[in-house]
Amino acid sequence: MSKITIPIGPQHPALKEPASFKITLNGEEIYSMDMRLGYNHRGIEKACEQRTYIQSLYLIERICGICSHSHSTAFTQAVEELAGLQVPKRGLYIRTLIAELERIHSHLLWLGVAAHEVGFDTLLMYTWRDRELVMDHLAELGGNRVNYAVNTFGGVRRDLTPDEIAHILKDMDTLEERTKYYAQVATEEATLIARLSKVGVMSKTEAETLGAVGPTARACSVDRDVRRDDPYAAYPDVQFKVCVDDHCDVYGRVLVRVNELFESYSIIRQLLKNLPEGPIAVKAPRRMPAGEVFSRYEAPRGEDCHYIKGNGTDKPDRVKIRAPTLANWRAVRKMIEGNYLADAPIVIAAIDPCFSCTDRAIELVRPHGGEVLTWGALRQFGIEWHRRHGLDFADLNKKFSQRMERVK
Amino acid sequence: MTAEETIQSELVAQFPFLAEKFRVQRARRLWAEVPADKFDAVVHHLFEKMHFIMLCAITGLDEGATFGLVYHLGVPSGMMLSLKVSIPREKPEWKTLIGMFPGGELYEREVADLLGVKFEGLPAGLRYPLPDDWPDNEFPLRKDWQPKHAVAPAAPAGEVKS
Amino acid sequence: MAIFNILVFPGILFLVAAGLWFEFVDRRMYARMQNRQGPPWFQPLADFIKLLAKETIIPEDANPRLFAAMPVLALTATICAFFYIPLWNTTALFSFQGDAIVVMYLLTIPTMTFFLAGWYSTSLYSTLGAVRSLTQLFAYEIPLFMAVLAPAMLANDWSLAGITKFYAAHPLLALLNLPAFCVAMVTLLGKLEKVPFDIPEAETEIVAGAFTEYAGRHLALFRLAIDIEVIVAGSLVAAIFLPFGLTLPWWLGIIIYLLKITLVVALIAIMRTIMARLRIEQMVNFCWKFLAPAALAQLMINLVVKGFLQP
Repeated sequence: MSKITIPIGPQHPALKEPASFKITLNGEEIYSMDMRLGYNHRGIEKACEQRTYIQSLYLIERICGICSHSHSTAFTQAVEELAGLQVPKRGLYIRTLIAELERIHSHLLWLGVAAHEVGFDTLLMYTWRDRELVMDHLAELGGNRVNYAVNTFGGVRRDLTPDEIAHILKDMDTLEERTKYYAQVATEEATLIARLSKVGVMSKTEAETLGAVGPTARACSVDRDVRRDDPYAAYPDVQFKVCVDDHCDVYGRVLVRVNELFESYSIIRQLLKNLPEGPIAVKAPRRMPAGEVFSRYEAPRGEDCHYIKGNGTDKPDRVKIRAPTLANWRAVRKMIEGNYLADAPIVIAAIDPCFSCTDRAIELVRPHGGEVLTWGALRQFGIEWHRRHGLDFADLNKKFSQRMERVK
Repeated sequence: MTAEETIQSELVAQFPFLAEKFRVQRARRLWAEVPADKFDAVVHHLFEKMHFIMLCAITGLDEGATFGLVYHLGVPSGMMLSLKVSIPREKPEWKTLIGMFPGGELYEREVADLLGVKFEGLPAGLRYPLPDDWPDNEFPLRKDWQPKHAVAPAAPAGEVKS
Repeated sequence: MAIFNILVFPGILFLVAAGLWFEFVDRRMYARMQNRQGPPWFQPLADFIKLLAKETIIPEDANPRLFAAMPVLALTATICAFFYIPLWNTTALFSFQGDAIVVMYLLTIPTMTFFLAGWYSTSLYSTLGAVRSLTQLFAYEIPLFMAVLAPAMLANDWSLAGITKFYAAHPLLALLNLPAFCVAMVTLLGKLEKVPFDIPEAETEIVAGAFTEYAGRHLALFRLAIDIEVIVAGSLVAAIFLPFGLTLPWWLGIIIYLLKITLVVALIAIMRTIMARLRIEQMVNFCWKFLAPAALAQLMINLVVKGFLQP
């Protein structure tokens, strides 16, 4: 069979978000891969320059639906450092608690997606069921399943009640029990191991030179974790171990994430046990001083970096975001070469790609006209488009509230 | 002497011009400004002698007459050094670092796309992150860039009629 | 009477009903084992009707006649095969010496139609799926043939009705074919393209494989053909390897027959639940390394036993 090029994406069942991979095949074997990212580029970095710090915070929380807390914490930390704010201990603990809950939900989600990529839907259904426990807690603590908006400059916005603490502790036990079972499945199910080991291999040196981060790097025995190396929030106060694995393949990445789940349960228990009393936030100024800060955060997918340059006004001069997935793309290109086509989805999925995180930044451009829309215009355009097509949300909202009245 | 000061003294001993331009912000956060012609020497020294083997990000700054490029370099044990270099706005050209940091390819493409800095030595490849039909000479992260046509256009022909 | 048999019972109508019913059974079991609710009993029928009502799209480059003929061919071949298989007693609707081999070949036709359908769709995903279908066929076909024909050799009869008659008379000898039963069950997963051998239609890699370009009633017919193939393959396995309760009254026989099919479907659902999809080369390796030798061993055993039985 001669070489053929097969497109995966921008829309493809294996990808949950748009990205385009052109995979050149030699039979079933992957000869090379080229990728086109940027489909989710929304201009957030530019948009932040036109918004106040606090507005930017809510925008930044919406960079990604999975690691929303990661970005908002990294940004908040940077602004707090810029303003010289001392966050109360209790605020830091709650921030860290949400961070670890987010890590659990993200890793469980990934485990399911990875299983689905290799056609093991049962594990997908199980992990996603258990993930709901964490999602419920996040909704309870933050009022929303994905954008919790817990962070604010100088601390957090919501406090914990003793009831919530007891509830979380109880569910951590349940989750630990379930995770033990998944660890057993991952290490004992023959077909799963056959599909995962020796796939997407990358050596330690390659991981280091290509700049891989997070579980992707740690599965290649690169011992790096921002939580330990560059501690922030409440991490200096808790004991945990950085999970490293020497399999250097997708199987190793599964093990690292499963082990990190256990560490997260333990971190959450420690945080809730030692939760200090006191205020949860201090008041932050509207204007931030001029200066430059660089903030790092260990997101579920790896190191998340935010750089902020302030100019003494209430708007940042420059916000730069480096999401973990962006750091891992170069490694994917290396890992995927020489594998079978059947392995392409799992190798790509193994870095837990988050295209929204990667892309971020401008305003929307119409594909052919080359016109650029501002957000307000885009919103208006959307409303009018739907109205022309017989869908008026203003109308629907009215009807909905009327119905709710009647139900009452 | 703290670890930060050790790095400072070592670097300043090697590169005396850094004495004024080196700043220890707090634990594990170092900042330095380097003249464009000395950048290579400093980065090589950091990479080869001082174990700054991580390139965490490249930030492009629009500072009016110049563009600033901030290279956020790191030691795996947590030390971060942000190395800033300024290049003239009229001639935004710079050298690629992907020989040393292959993982930095996308960071450079991003700066090239959004700020319009040409990286000499960066191999041709698919652009990132702007769309393929993005007009030339439109660089959104420049301060003077404004989105044009800020009105909702009519629905293009051929769309489903309601 | 023959017309009634062919069209209604145990012919086409029964087959369609059973196919849809057992698709529900399979999906429901799969869902319950995954801790999900699962579809209601009429879901497969609703899917079928909905697909029939959908627009039929034929790719520009595809040959429209071949494209439309493939699902019909697949359906016809599976239904034909069904008439030669004894169900709840030891007689089939039609029977002749050698029909065991004909049935096996009729069951190969759907796979060939998948290949042609994919190939003539001219899309990349379809072509890849088609090639994978064929590669997989070469891997499982030989072990499957040997596994089915080993019992026939022992029975010294090449018609399915004759084989069932023989084993109904000597039920203990049927136990001898246990390895072949296992081989047949595993290779059936390959034939029916179910996890872990659903490689030709691996969703996350090649969308829907050979069926990517199919829509509307063509797809509906393909899906029906696959549902019916499950029943036919299940009946074949039941007739050859589970020849029990064949001499009972007809109504009891039918219940036992349906239980046997349920058993086969349940086995498929369980395997689907507990395994991940293999890669094509792992699948081929597995078939030739383990299944083919196992089937060969069964042939040897049956040859030796046959030597003792017929001095």
